[in-house]
Amino acid sequence: MKIFLNISLAAALFVGGVYLYADDDEMEHARPAYSKPLSKQDQASAALYKKECGACHMAYQAGFLPKRSWDKTMKGLDNHFGTDATMDAADTKTIQNYLMTYASKNDRITDMKGAVALRISQTPHFVKEHREITQKMITQPEVKSIANCTACHTKAETGSYREREIHIPNYGRWE
Amino acid sequence: MKYLTILLIGSMSLMGASTEVVQYMNELSSVAKTENKSFAGFDAARGKEIFTSTHTGKQGKPISCTSCHTTNLSNYGKNSLTGKVIEPLSPKANPQRLTSVKEVTKWLKRNFVDVYAREGTAQEKGDVLTYIIKN
Repeated sequence: MKIFLNISLAAALFVGGVYLYADDDEMEHARPAYSKPLSKQDQASAALYKKECGACHMAYQAGFLPKRSWDKTMKGLDNHFGTDATMDAADTKTIQNYLMTYASKNDRITDMKGAVALRISQTPHFVKEHREITQKMITQPEVKSIANCTACHTKAETGSYREREIHIPNYGRWE
Repeated sequence: MKYLTILLIGSMSLMGASTEVVQYMNELSSVAKTENKSFAGFDAARGKEIFTSTHTGKQGKPISCTSCHTTNLSNYGKNSLTGKVIEPLSPKANPQRLTSVKEVTKWLKRNFVDVYAREGTAQEKGDVLTYIIKN
């Protein structure tokens, strides 16, 4: 029972809502990308994704990249941004299916004019949202990389990227 | 019978690896014997050298196992690329370690490739596991 609760909690936190439209200063308020509850199988897949990919970096919400990006990522795990991120065939397939199912269908976020984005940080929506972030903020030891969502987005793991939840180390809240 | 079970579980945890991981290490030992006629068992000192020495890794840059895991296996480590915290590697500090062959084989493969730009031999894998168990 405990395991089941953990899995469903993780799944709910994890894909229950990706708040991509999180600008408090815009009309669009936090809107979960997926409101349908996950099937048991998808919950298990989400938990596997979080365990496997989350071992090295935040398990980025699937909705940040389109299908073709996840497909390319999952087929290149032997050289995943310069490291070997391979796992057994069954787990690879489960995670690939999961990511493909919950990949972004929204062109506003991921339109790369035909190019296949592997880095979320290169997608147009991401670039636009981070245009005021300086190199110093990113390269400081507490952040290290633009890929380190949780360094500033305090609730990123839950899929929430609201402005009021931002806290940049050594700079403070984003206001 | 109850005491026997407790004793068994107790001695297993003292060994620092689960039964399935011990079994996996026995298999590695058999392979090591066929690959190296003079093989006389795994050695923690050789494992330490494998773990602490610096090599040209997959990215063509100097890297060591300690780049992420630090030189104290009871300490938390940190992924040198992403900054993500890594749980202690020592089974004494972290009882979850060396309990699953699936986990062990996955990480040995990945990490040998990242640090040595090749997979480890059976002897090397056994040596490094022996070093981790003893530290």
